[in-house]
Amino acid sequence: MVEAVDVCKGFGGTPVLTGVSLTVAPGTVTCLIGPSGGGKSTLLRCINHLEPVDSGQVYVDGRLVGYREHKDHRLRAMSRREVAAHRAEVGMVFQQFNLFAHMTALQNVIEAPIHVRREPRSQAIKHATKLLERVGLGAKIDSYPRQLSGGQQQRVAIARALAMRPKVMLFDEPTSALDPELVGEVLDVMRALAADGLTMIVATHEIGFAREVAEQVILLAGGTIIEAGPAHQVLDAPRHNRTRQFLAALSDRRRPERAR
Amino acid sequence: MAVSSRSSTQADPVAQAAGPIAPIRPARWMVVAVLLLGLSMIAHTIVANPTFEWGIVGHYFLSAQVLQGLANTLEITAVSMLIGSALGIAVALLRMSSSRVLAAIGWTYVWVLRSVPLLVQLLFWYNLAALYRALSVGIPYGPAIAHASVNQLITPFVAAILGLGLHESAYMAEIIRAGILGVDPGQGEAAAALGMSHRLALRRIILPQALRTITPPTGNEVISTLKASALVSVLSMKDLLYSVQIIYSQNFRTIPLLIVASLWYLIVTSMLTIGQHVLERRVGRGAGEGRTRRGRRQPRSLRAVTPLRVGMTGEHL
Repeated sequence: MVEAVDVCKGFGGTPVLTGVSLTVAPGTVTCLIGPSGGGKSTLLRCINHLEPVDSGQVYVDGRLVGYREHKDHRLRAMSRREVAAHRAEVGMVFQQFNLFAHMTALQNVIEAPIHVRREPRSQAIKHATKLLERVGLGAKIDSYPRQLSGGQQQRVAIARALAMRPKVMLFDEPTSALDPELVGEVLDVMRALAADGLTMIVATHEIGFAREVAEQVILLAGGTIIEAGPAHQVLDAPRHNRTRQFLAALSDRRRPERAR
Repeated sequence: MAVSSRSSTQADPVAQAAGPIAPIRPARWMVVAVLLLGLSMIAHTIVANPTFEWGIVGHYFLSAQVLQGLANTLEITAVSMLIGSALGIAVALLRMSSSRVLAAIGWTYVWVLRSVPLLVQLLFWYNLAALYRALSVGIPYGPAIAHASVNQLITPFVAAILGLGLHESAYMAEIIRAGILGVDPGQGEAAAALGMSHRLALRRIILPQALRTITPPTGNEVISTLKASALVSVLSMKDLLYSVQIIYSQNFRTIPLLIVASLWYLIVTSMLTIGQHVLERRVGRGAGEGRTRRGRRQPRSLRAVTPLRVGMTGEHL
């Protein structure tokens, strides 16, 4: 469903992704783990062309992202309209939720279907209500984002992304900005989505979630893929030292400091 | 003083509920007293001084000439603000364009119109006929389809709204640009991630939220324009000020008539201020300005440092 081939991306001379290649099969969940600054967010943003790649290719559902291939294999940048049409097929959930602050939860969810897909309003509302109930927020459809907790806002954001019936959903550290108590409700929603067969790419620090739900786990550090493979292998029997180091550091944070 | 002779271990619930007594501030009371005295003295001179001629003020306050002038002033202000806002949005978008040529055009527009004094701009437009005899619409550098004499086109009214409107548009462009820049970039990203085009995102997501930041300075600009419109009197345009000037050039009662004009400007400005307040409430929905438990407004930025009164339950607000 998603394929990245030798993707390179830098900002102002600093390389952030160097030669990243990965494949995500349809209906599976891939978790990107790794230290901050390792390139996880950038990779996700390259997949829906919020950032254009410097070199390499990204394919979603077989179609090249951001560029159109010409006869002699030359690439031409897609028009803004084509890029927008592509983005409508790829859902994204942000770390900071980014709900539209001047609209209620329901209005947030129906906004894109009505104005981008030109769905009739009543149909959009029906679909949106169902989605909001699915994420457990049926009672909050008329609340403004500032009246909702972080976990509730993120669930509305998930419903908003789902309303466009995307082929693949990207999650950029969806629970990193949440209180520990609220993390669980968002992960529950994500687990349910995975069980329903949604193709998901999740950048996260939640190793427990990755172990439970992901088919593939990829460790991204320093702009390159250190290790990629099935979840139980990468997380429980990592082959590379860097992976072991990273996982150890994560579990050390959770365990209280022991007297030495 | 605030503590009764009761033992300190047994708090009096009635006294607790009433809250502690506010500290006495002698310096503050003195300043208040001096200011009140000064204000009362000024008010006294205004009422008692016969040269104010309040009778004349009353006589002309609702006269036909003054009201017509007021109507013209309001019309010029409204039309100029509409032109200014519409052009302002366009120029703001020009300035933020990714095309360097468009951005440069926008910058130059703002630069020129903010540099030349409004009075000079008004006179320029009024005397446009000296530069361009006729205005024609047609193919650039080619034959013309329609033709008009600039002298006929540029009436005092047209010159007024052109001058005020264009001048206003430069300031509005900056205000709108500031408002758009002030919207959280995450909003634009979320809109883009949903497949919204840039224009759609601007119209549905960014501009509505930018309005919250744009409204207060725009309210300022409307009031400014109202008063700047008094300048059109140099174009012999019969606005409020010019109408009043005509009257006092005949009966020589300068001060009372200027008071008439001032009172009207004051009344209109007050109404505009109330209107601005209502508008701010409307565009602020979803964002929420805080109110303390007592209903007293606290600006969010100051809430941490402003001394607050303790509430009824004894909790700090």
